[in-house]
Amino acid sequence: MEKKQRRKKEQAEFYFDYSLLFIVLFLIGFGLVMIYSASSYTATSEFGDPAHFLKNQLAAAILGLIAMGIMAFVPQKWIAKSALFAYFASAILIVLVLSPLGVESHKARRWIRLPGIPFNLQPAEIAKLAVIILLAVVISKMGKKVSTWKGFGLIMAIPIPLAAMIYVITDNLSSAIIVMAIAAAMVFVASRDYKKFIVLGLVAIACAAGAVYIIKAGIFGGGFRGGRILAWLDPESYAKDQGFQTLQALYAIGSGGVWGKGLGQSMQKLSFIPESQNDMIFSIICEELGMFGAIAIILMFVLLIWRMMIIANNAPNLFSAMLVVGVIGHIAVQAVLNIAVVTNTIPNTGISLPFISYGGSSILFLLIEIGLVFNVARNIQLKEM
Amino acid sequence: MKDEKRKQKQFSIKMQKKLVVLFILVLLAFAGLTVRLGLLVHEKETKYQKQVLSQLKYDSTTLPYRRGDIVDAKGVKLATSEKVYNLVIDSAVMLDKEAYFEPTMEALAKYFPQLNMANIREYVKNHPKSSWYVPLRRLSYDEIEPFKEAQAEKNSNIKGIWFEEEYKRVYPGGSLAADVIGFARTDNVGQYGLEEYYNDTLNGSNGREYGYLNDDLALERTIKPATDGNTVHSTIDVNIQKIVEKVLNQFGDEHENEYREADGAENVGCIVMDPNTGEVLAMASYPGFDLNNPKDTQALIGAVEMEQIINANGYTEIRKTGKYITEARLAEMTEDEILLNLNNLWKNFCIANTYEPGSTMKPFTVAAALESGSISQQDTFVCEGYLEVGGFKIKCHGADGTLTLAKAVAKSCNVCLMKIARQMGADIFSKFQRDYNFGKKTNIDLAGEARTASLLRSAAEMDPTDLATYSFGQNFNVTMIQMAAGYCSLINGGYYYEPHVVSKITNSSGATVETFEPKLLKRTISESTSELIRSYCKEVVISGTGKTARPAGYLVAGKTGTAQTQPRGNGQYVVSFESFAPVDDPQVVVYVVVDRVNASKQDNARYATNMVREIYTELLPYMNIFMTEELTEAEKKELEERQLAITLEYGNPNKENGEEGENPLGPTPVWVTYPVDPVTGYLKNPNTGELIDAQTGEPVVEGAYDAIGADVPVPPEIQNPQE
Repeated sequence: MEKKQRRKKEQAEFYFDYSLLFIVLFLIGFGLVMIYSASSYTATSEFGDPAHFLKNQLAAAILGLIAMGIMAFVPQKWIAKSALFAYFASAILIVLVLSPLGVESHKARRWIRLPGIPFNLQPAEIAKLAVIILLAVVISKMGKKVSTWKGFGLIMAIPIPLAAMIYVITDNLSSAIIVMAIAAAMVFVASRDYKKFIVLGLVAIACAAGAVYIIKAGIFGGGFRGGRILAWLDPESYAKDQGFQTLQALYAIGSGGVWGKGLGQSMQKLSFIPESQNDMIFSIICEELGMFGAIAIILMFVLLIWRMMIIANNAPNLFSAMLVVGVIGHIAVQAVLNIAVVTNTIPNTGISLPFISYGGSSILFLLIEIGLVFNVARNIQLKEM
Repeated sequence: MKDEKRKQKQFSIKMQKKLVVLFILVLLAFAGLTVRLGLLVHEKETKYQKQVLSQLKYDSTTLPYRRGDIVDAKGVKLATSEKVYNLVIDSAVMLDKEAYFEPTMEALAKYFPQLNMANIREYVKNHPKSSWYVPLRRLSYDEIEPFKEAQAEKNSNIKGIWFEEEYKRVYPGGSLAADVIGFARTDNVGQYGLEEYYNDTLNGSNGREYGYLNDDLALERTIKPATDGNTVHSTIDVNIQKIVEKVLNQFGDEHENEYREADGAENVGCIVMDPNTGEVLAMASYPGFDLNNPKDTQALIGAVEMEQIINANGYTEIRKTGKYITEARLAEMTEDEILLNLNNLWKNFCIANTYEPGSTMKPFTVAAALESGSISQQDTFVCEGYLEVGGFKIKCHGADGTLTLAKAVAKSCNVCLMKIARQMGADIFSKFQRDYNFGKKTNIDLAGEARTASLLRSAAEMDPTDLATYSFGQNFNVTMIQMAAGYCSLINGGYYYEPHVVSKITNSSGATVETFEPKLLKRTISESTSELIRSYCKEVVISGTGKTARPAGYLVAGKTGTAQTQPRGNGQYVVSFESFAPVDDPQVVVYVVVDRVNASKQDNARYATNMVREIYTELLPYMNIFMTEELTEAEKKELEERQLAITLEYGNPNKENGEEGENPLGPTPVWVTYPVDPVTGYLKNPNTGELIDAQTGEPVVEGAYDAIGADVPVPPEIQNPQE
């Protein structure tokens, strides 16, 4: 009897964030609908099956939900202990891209094919997860030293090797930036002061502005990325090549209006926006569902981040809180940057919209991260709330 | 336990606050992006909506129309269009997957061995986004069929190759009737002849295959078919054309390089017409060219060379150089010079060249004089060998003495003709020249007819010398078609029909779109005058200058011409023979002109009469006209060699049945002699007052002629278009 009661008590204390689950499921479901809408035309012409991309994404999502469930119940000690392993494993996987296991697609070699996984794995996504876990461990062990310049430098130094490998080996600048941004978000929350971050933020903005100025003045050749910056500044002049995708996305957003053309009615997805189910899916959302749909999706992300913030603020310890902060950083940075790219607020770089864009690795590891958040939430003692 | 818990570092309030700050930062970023979205939609909505619609280029392809055929009187194809295929390489599709490239290259090399594969590989590598490269053009279906089969096989991996349809103009006869037909360029623009004159009729309009997106955003196709061009039915009879061209080419070959290193003559032209309708049955000229390869410069060798100069008045002028094109000369000619000479070769001698007709003009002069009453058929004229006109002694070929009209024509006496013209006066002579359509275009339906208005003086401009020389066809220029059409009216009872080459237009499905009935323009002379002219022309062949024109078994009639060219005394002549057969009921007119034969002595009408004889020998049996004349042993042998039947027993009913009547097809109808009713233009029976249609002999129902409209023959007195 006592045993039973204790169990009952445990269950009563067990916290489960249903709103978070609902938001995540909504985003995945909505993403599947939009992937089907955006990709059915190209899928029919290329694969003869309008649901080609939908089926792949659905399989990845189901696998991800299972992984999420498992993750929610893994003891936190295990997670902390696996931090270094995850870090080095992701580094090895990045290197494996160069091996025969590597897969080339869309003119870039960023994926590996592992037996038993129905889609190509993008090691950069694993690296993001590994950095979140490892930094959470390091920060929770450091304590107050985090606020010092030395602590800051140490924490920022940890993700650099991975980011550098992602950039050099897989030629994927955006993922490298996201890895660093996750670290920055975590260290920002963990540190006491603001001054450092304001200064560094201003320096970063000044550097970026300087770089743009140099490229615009044409001092260096600029190359592929320089061209993207020029196309960002004036997409209509580069409508045929570098600016094509951005301009077509802008056409989609602009032509969608306030209420959109209606679900499935996009014209831009008819092979005008290349890979419309991937990075540019937000433009199709804008075209079909208008400003209304776009704001609704942005609100869903805000809600998602808000729920996670509540969980972090109630986390039983620093480690688990930092895990959630890392996940918040990841999802927030990616969502903001993606929408910024689609609206041509920043230069075009390949960033997918979390939970919605097509991509097996992306959704799998995002759901594993959400699993971590549920894991943290499960350990919240209800009386503390 | 509790200690342990405390040891664990907590997520401090400070950190919680910072997390809230982070959350607010993210919120601000989202808010900023939302504002940007709103601005985008607000500012650019309409512009981008248009932009989106404008770039939806529905994938559409042109379906080429088929240029209509040109067929002869019996439906034999003279010009036709065949579907051909251009091989198009789409590098973008071919390079889409690596697995496509090699199999496609191998298939190309296998099925199109004429391709330079190294070039193609290089092209595809250098232009990976190109989707339009055409290495082979105008392949026949047989050539592409094996490749298409290989491409259609499952998993063939042959990608990025397709065939664009096009039509190619083909002339089954090669050089046959080249001048009449003309040729069409690859862009379906006709040049010369029927191809140019009936260009718009022959051309259709392109169709289109549209792709569009239906409500379910599926690509659907709709086809607006091409409208094919119409078929032009020519009056040319391929068999007659072949007879004529064979004779002309034989003549050319015989005289080639005879006196000078050149073609058999500068030009030889022949027109065969039906005098009763104005239909041209054959029209040919020498030297010819191959319609399937009109730019073949080899055809120029032996032709007289033309050059473009700027004359004393500052105008550009194309004139003869007096030299003949040799292989060596051809090699050094510039492209412009070659084109100039090709144009000279392509133009139709029978309608585009003018020349002094010479004595073939004499029947026209005599007919005018008789018709106007200036002379009567009993008049005789004395030839002393020359006549002094305007201070010049204009010579005849000899002193012929006193001649009847028939003999004057038969002997081709210049002095008699000058006297006749003088009796007539310049006004009447000139009026009749205009009636015969000299100085005007005949408006034959062929491109490139020459204008002759400035080559013929009017009555007011004529001095006595002009009148004298005009009477025997010198000092003014005509075209062959003017002569042939005029001569038709001289011998058919005076009916001047507009010469024409096309009888009917049908559409691509065979329905008749338009028919061209014989167009009677005017009456030049009366039936009685015409009858006299026929007999004079008969006399030319029986006893005069045209004896050599008579084919075995037939009697034909005609008039020879030997005309001097400018400058006088250059030893260069245009000899010609105008003729008709059968003599009593003209069914066909044959007119041959030899322009400067390649011989040491050019002034011999036999060059023309011999050809006319050759033509008649095959033409008359082909036309089912039976023989009327007894055959000599030599002629029988000749017919046997030519494998021609002797049709004498059917052809001469008079001798077998002893019946009256010269016309094998029945007596001349009575109505032909009725006077023309000045009010209606119909012939009027003087006894009953009944109106008769001049063409058919059918009585016209009173009051109905108004409704007939354009088909009503306008009375000759009224219709005499002034230029």
